[in-house]
Amino acid sequence: MFRILLICWGILACAQAGDIEGTVVIKRKLTKRTVTASANSYQRGARVDLASDPEQDPLAFERSRVVVYLEGALPSQPVTATLEQKNRRFLPEVLVVPAGSTVSFPNLDEIFHNVFSLSKPKIFDLGNYPKDQTRTVTLDKPGVVFVHCHLHPNMVAAIVVSPNQWAAKADGSGRFTLAGVPTGSYTITAWHKTAGFVRQKVQVEENGRASVQFLLPTDEHGNLLAVAQR
Amino acid sequence: MRFATRTFLWSFVPLAVLLMASFWTTQTLVVSAVRDGIRTSMRQTHRSIARSQSKSELQYGRFLKVVAESAALKAGVELMLAEPQSSDARLTVEDQLKEICRSLGFYFLLISNPEGDALAGIMRVGEELVAIDPANMRPPQKGFLPMEERTYQLISAAMNQGDERIGTLIVGEPFDFSQFSMPTVLTKRDAVLESTVPGIVIPEVESGLRGCPADGECEVQLRGETFLSLPMRNLSLGDGYLIRSLQSVDSASGPVQAILLNVFLVAAAGALLGAVVLGALSSRSVVQPIAAVVSHLRASERTGVLPEFHANHSTIREIRELTDSFNRAADSIRAGRVGLEQAYVECVEALASALDARDRYTAGHSRRVSAYACSIAEAMNFTVKDLDEIRVGALLHDIGKIGIPDGVLQKPGRLTHEEMTLIQQHPTIGRRILEGVNGFQSYLPTVELHHENWDGTGYPRGLRGEAVPLAPRIVHVVDAYDAMTSDRPYRPGMSHAEAIRVLEKNAGTQFDAEIVRIFLGLNSIGEIRHIQADVLEQEVRSVHHLAEAVKNTGAYAPSMESIKS
Repeated sequence: MFRILLICWGILACAQAGDIEGTVVIKRKLTKRTVTASANSYQRGARVDLASDPEQDPLAFERSRVVVYLEGALPSQPVTATLEQKNRRFLPEVLVVPAGSTVSFPNLDEIFHNVFSLSKPKIFDLGNYPKDQTRTVTLDKPGVVFVHCHLHPNMVAAIVVSPNQWAAKADGSGRFTLAGVPTGSYTITAWHKTAGFVRQKVQVEENGRASVQFLLPTDEHGNLLAVAQR
Repeated sequence: MRFATRTFLWSFVPLAVLLMASFWTTQTLVVSAVRDGIRTSMRQTHRSIARSQSKSELQYGRFLKVVAESAALKAGVELMLAEPQSSDARLTVEDQLKEICRSLGFYFLLISNPEGDALAGIMRVGEELVAIDPANMRPPQKGFLPMEERTYQLISAAMNQGDERIGTLIVGEPFDFSQFSMPTVLTKRDAVLESTVPGIVIPEVESGLRGCPADGECEVQLRGETFLSLPMRNLSLGDGYLIRSLQSVDSASGPVQAILLNVFLVAAAGALLGAVVLGALSSRSVVQPIAAVVSHLRASERTGVLPEFHANHSTIREIRELTDSFNRAADSIRAGRVGLEQAYVECVEALASALDARDRYTAGHSRRVSAYACSIAEAMNFTVKDLDEIRVGALLHDIGKIGIPDGVLQKPGRLTHEEMTLIQQHPTIGRRILEGVNGFQSYLPTVELHHENWDGTGYPRGLRGEAVPLAPRIVHVVDAYDAMTSDRPYRPGMSHAEAIRVLEKNAGTQFDAEIVRIFLGLNSIGEIRHIQADVLEQEVRSVHHLAEAVKNTGAYAPSMESIKS
């Protein structure tokens, strides 16, 4: 019964929908990234492998790690997503899926990996498994699920489980679009691992284009407003 | 050996021995002092090394403990233990170890299971981190591990999961010999694993160390150089490993020894020079007087005279005594010789007197002949020696008549032919008598040839003219003169004038004319003719005299006693 109602509402909404376009503005680096090379490597004159690509704009790096989604019990279209384990990293590092989606974790490395999470929305441990094996997890509750590897403490990924299907990652320049949002008033949330959650009100008109701008961090003085919650 | 050489040797040899002994002693003392110094400094270095080593080991151990507590690593080990056959699991752990090596700068990391078998390991080769094949590998938890031409010093930390031991994390650091400022060797039991002794290969070091006590100090000969080898006892390495440090005694004591050697060489050269000079000076004062004495003796050996030795008075008492006693000996020899000559002269006179005394007709004959002959010889300027010869020769000229029977000699009247022949043998008999007497050789011609005539008609050989020596020719003339002027049993003596006439008549045939001429020119003939018949008494006195002289020599004293009695 509820489902039918939901679908009806959805169709209705579709009929009366608008887009939300926005930009994320980040003016300074938020993530403290470390140089992973040891002091000894310097001494030996080896090439130092920095975690950041020097060609990539560090602010674009930050922007591309911002997830924007709408709060509220809106219709959700579950998907099947993949979070690869490759070169001792999770790829992508930030994944956004609507609630109810299934995420598979294929191991593409030669070595064993392990996938586990201790985050509130979903607690799981997929165990150790070798190359070319994959395990899957269905994420029902919205929230941020941090995924780790027991064997490689440096591996971490964040899966943002959005309450509905309107969720997106900003691109390098900070732009994002939530298309076909039913008209109405919403709370739109932006999340960044370091900056935490930032919320705004947004009004969606029929066939209108709502424009949103997130300033991260919001505080004028440059203080982080919220700490990432797990 | 010359006296100077001996003096030199006597002064130099003890000095050289003393020098060498003191050199040896000093050298030994220096070497042992240097050795003590080396030992002390080595011990100090060992202590400080051990202190820093144990300190760093403690810190390293703590640090390692933290690494061993890594949950991810533990998870990896557990994964391996859960899937022992999986190469991916090993790869996973190796990957983790690589990560640790990279971030912490380790050279060698190894994980072993609780049984001690290696599970996985990583080693740095050049810039690369490569996996170690863990098959059949049981690394020690402490000590050393030789891998790929390197020796790693190992430290380990236990990996526990709760109360359960799941493995051991072993970290190896390339053993750094450069931390030791001195030559060092790493040994395991008898084998030398590493060595930093410059220029000497490991097998040589190994054979050099073979005689050393297991963990005691010892001295090692390497390429002719002496090393002091001291084990680092307070560095606990475990598993039979031992670090020894070596220090060259020679190179430490070498400079001091070189200085010592120079000092002693200079001293030895000084001693040599001193000994030469001293020897020369001291021997000179002794050798010079001795050389003078010797040359004196040589001269007297040549001349037969032993003169007084007038040495410049030496300051050395012994040398003075030597010259004094030489002079005393020479005096006594001279005195003895004078006495001997005296005795000899008296002996000869006694012989002549005894001969003359056989017959009163010939009494004094020999003496007179001798006196006439001497007068001629003096007139002819004979030397003292020749004069003496003719005097004695003349005294003895008729000695051969001892061997002629009295009956023939004193026969009144004409002699038969046989008797004449017998008489004519007396020169030969005389010669034979005197031939055996030492020192009478020079009188033999006078005795033998005083009856040879100038024209060769004499006896016993019938020599002619100057083939007969001068002395017998003289004696021939004066013998004839005295015989003619003397009384004989068968005739009275001729007068001087008659005798001279006979001489003049036979000069040139029987006698040498020159000698007759000189004889006739003499003034002393008359005096000599009066040496007469009191001779007997004189003869007895002579014999007594002779006995006295012989007795004084002492040799025949007992027999002389018996003669007297």
